[in-house]
Amino acid sequence: MTRYDTVVIGAGTAGLTTACHLAQSGQKVLVVAKGIGALLLASGSIDVLGFHPADSLTPVKNPAEKLDDFLADRPDHPYNLVGKETLKTGIDQFLQLVNQAGLDYQGDLNRNWMLPSGMGAVHPTCLAPASMVKGDLSTDESMLIVGFNELRDFFPALIAQNINEQKLGVEAGSISLEINIPIAGAMNATPIELAHAFEQDAFRNQVIKAIAAQAKSYDRVGFPAALGIKQHATAVAHLEKQLNRPVFEISSLPPSVPGRRLYEALKAALLKAGGRLIIGSQIVEGTIENGRITQIRMETASRLKAVIANHYVLATGGIFGGGIFADAEGMVTEPIFNLPVAADTNRHHWFEKKFISPTGQPVFNFGVKANSRLQPLNGDSQPVAENLYVAGAVIAGSEWTRGRTGEGIAVATAAAITAQITSQAAKSLR
Amino acid sequence: MNKSTEVLVIGGGVTGCGVLFDLAQRGFKAILVERGALSNATSGRFHGLLHSGGRYAVKDAEAAEECIIENRILRKIMPHCVEDTGGMFVSTPWDPPEHADVFMKSCHAVGIEAEEISVAEALRREPMLNPRIRRVFLVPDGSVETWEACKSLTESAAEYGAETLTYHQVIDLLTRNGKVTGAKVKNIITGEELTLEADLVVNAAGAWGGKLGHIAGCDVTVHAGKGTMVAMNFRMVNTVINRCGPAADGDIIVPIGSVAVIGTTSVKVPDPDSYPIEDWEVKKMMDQGEMMIPDFKKFRPLRAWAGVRPLYQEAAAGADLRNVTRKYALLDHATRDGVEGFVTITGGKWTTYRQMAEHTVDLVCQKLNTQRECKTATTLLKHGETGKLFKLGQRLENLETKQWRGQLVCECEIVTRPQIEGHLKENHTNIINDLRRDLRVGMGPCQGGFCTYRVAGIMHENKKLSAGQANKALGDFLQERWKGAQPILWGQHLRQFQLDEGIYMGLLGLDKLPTALSGQDTGRIAEVETEGYFEVEEAAS
Repeated sequence: MTRYDTVVIGAGTAGLTTACHLAQSGQKVLVVAKGIGALLLASGSIDVLGFHPADSLTPVKNPAEKLDDFLADRPDHPYNLVGKETLKTGIDQFLQLVNQAGLDYQGDLNRNWMLPSGMGAVHPTCLAPASMVKGDLSTDESMLIVGFNELRDFFPALIAQNINEQKLGVEAGSISLEINIPIAGAMNATPIELAHAFEQDAFRNQVIKAIAAQAKSYDRVGFPAALGIKQHATAVAHLEKQLNRPVFEISSLPPSVPGRRLYEALKAALLKAGGRLIIGSQIVEGTIENGRITQIRMETASRLKAVIANHYVLATGGIFGGGIFADAEGMVTEPIFNLPVAADTNRHHWFEKKFISPTGQPVFNFGVKANSRLQPLNGDSQPVAENLYVAGAVIAGSEWTRGRTGEGIAVATAAAITAQITSQAAKSLR
Repeated sequence: MNKSTEVLVIGGGVTGCGVLFDLAQRGFKAILVERGALSNATSGRFHGLLHSGGRYAVKDAEAAEECIIENRILRKIMPHCVEDTGGMFVSTPWDPPEHADVFMKSCHAVGIEAEEISVAEALRREPMLNPRIRRVFLVPDGSVETWEACKSLTESAAEYGAETLTYHQVIDLLTRNGKVTGAKVKNIITGEELTLEADLVVNAAGAWGGKLGHIAGCDVTVHAGKGTMVAMNFRMVNTVINRCGPAADGDIIVPIGSVAVIGTTSVKVPDPDSYPIEDWEVKKMMDQGEMMIPDFKKFRPLRAWAGVRPLYQEAAAGADLRNVTRKYALLDHATRDGVEGFVTITGGKWTTYRQMAEHTVDLVCQKLNTQRECKTATTLLKHGETGKLFKLGQRLENLETKQWRGQLVCECEIVTRPQIEGHLKENHTNIINDLRRDLRVGMGPCQGGFCTYRVAGIMHENKKLSAGQANKALGDFLQERWKGAQPILWGQHLRQFQLDEGIYMGLLGLDKLPTALSGQDTGRIAEVETEGYFEVEEAAS
């Protein structure tokens, strides 16, 4: 049986990033996941700190500067487990990882990009693909927003009008194109199908022709985030050359094309570094002996199969990801290792009355309690197992929607765990 | 602004709509006012059961007989609103065995064609039923589309010249020399006030009828009897399933649309505008469901809601409302309280709305000194092409065979863009909930996760709304869905809502639009503020 150095459970941003870092450091790494994680549902950008306090409507301009306040005000947030320096390392490492993998992500911790959302709201984010940062709303260049009648998840007029009414200093116009998206059943085209269309010269030429005249009145042109998958760079370059102005992408409803590109890049980086990826198999349980995980077991077609490694990383996500489960009786559990979960068992305390509550829903903060080494803790605040780590939203305090800290938690915990595991590996070599 | 009419009907539930149509057909000039949308309150908050009368046969023969008579009539006059599911009364191990024979005898006594079938046959028809049931009786239950029915009634009334004003709240009754002469109403969307003068006012405000009576100076005791229901994400049965025993909480499962609804509880509440859904109610529905359908709890509850039955009683009622008759009351306040020009119709059941309307309009005729014959029992109501689409499979077939063209906007319930655009053309509100009632948008498992954004975008384009109006429509609808989900939010459905939250907050940033632009600084219109919240504060103490 293969013995791995590290097995990562979960293939979202946290799991894949941790796995890539470890594989690139020379470890033998396996990623096992029930599905392909939340990357296809996310925007593809890396949000680190968008708003603070959580109910503020003013975006954070400089996350590095605001982080000290944030850490002080949110002692329960996973950032406090790893600290600001590790977060910074995580961002640098992530940037290096994805850019080496052929993507072009831009940004740093000292500034947020102010990107237009699919509603025309301001989405402050730390790292984003080059194709998205050109939509930054902190410059005063006007923008034409282009939609497609056959794409049901993007409303250019609504986006433009919301941008204009916020008086951000950017003038936005819109156009909706009656161009057939050449995919079967295209009336219901998804961004992924539109992205396939954008990989074709003929389709791009049609688009260019349809908007060329109007585009001349604007400094830049924004499209749904669907400008190709594998041929993304070619598609953007072609559009920019022909339209003679910057072209950018705006994220909307899932499935997310930038998320797909990120997933493909991380997957390729993992495989290139000798890592292995199993998607579609669920880890159902693990054995803990003498304070160590000795094996975990994976569901296969006929039986449970043991998987053995020196280190185990649990990156299964929060409630949405399935890493935390909450039942009708108010029981909140971590289904694989049955780790202690920080949660309130009274369901009346789970929710705010408002869906758009300023501070988020308490239930989405429920998660595994961990120490600063990201080891899950038992009731006596001792590590459950010395070779088990938790990464990403499975950690308690990870409610991310209001402060916009989701991917920051993923990349920071990935960096922290990578440092732990590689330093231990180095020690054992000595 | 002023308007005058012969008869003013207050309340747009099925009773009020039925009265309006009957009045109009008998040649009266009539106007109906409703503070929310049609069938928004009690009529829209039941499980959708068209009673055969079986439920009342043992204890309330009179109510049972009314039900079976009206059941047969409604199938003829609104076939597009009735799904002929049929019903079963099943005797489970938890029901008193002796009830079964009494039930059968009582049904036959009032003319309900109950027929016993073998348990094996029942399980062949409904394989998910509990195999431990001991006896099964078939009855002619059905399910009704209440929004479609109220729409048909008011549209049919409009053909006779009657007018319907939704989102108009009564702020005062007009009185002159001890006579009610109309009402002052307010358009709750525009804020515009309107004076409606009438020869006669019909109070069809249901559980709110007591409040209205009070304004007129009449003491009308209408108890608000809360009933909580839960919709499950799957039609586990295609037949209405009733427990064959004394009426109790959670003993009926009704397949309706793409879901199955279990109900109800029966709790007296002091105020029809405020009735929290309580934990024990939801738990009881789940546990009771399990008795009729093993593994009931393994399905996903989508939404819980409560309605308030108007239960009329002259004397004060105790807490157990099951003993208050489900028969209706028609009050002429001239003879009862010395107040002229004012009539109250209250109590009763959805199934008997037509008969209630007939008797009400008979009284109106008498009071206005005229004799006109009621024809509603034999008049087919007006209906569009939306009928007969109760099952998701039928909608899917229409889509697959290309009878329906255009973009699929709500995937869960199969609603297309042309359907939405058609609806927007006819309707004057910017309320996504109105589309839900008519088209079922946002009622499926994702509870508006994707389609709400699409509908808001389509509304913005088609109705030339401001961005602020579109944002507000979106936010209001999401809030509406959130509220209905909270009491049953756990497991997979909780995951679903974190996805929805990730979409609307994380991706779209709806929470970070300036307050004025998102409409969060203005309250939602009254209709959406009246129903049961999962009581958050109470438990916090």
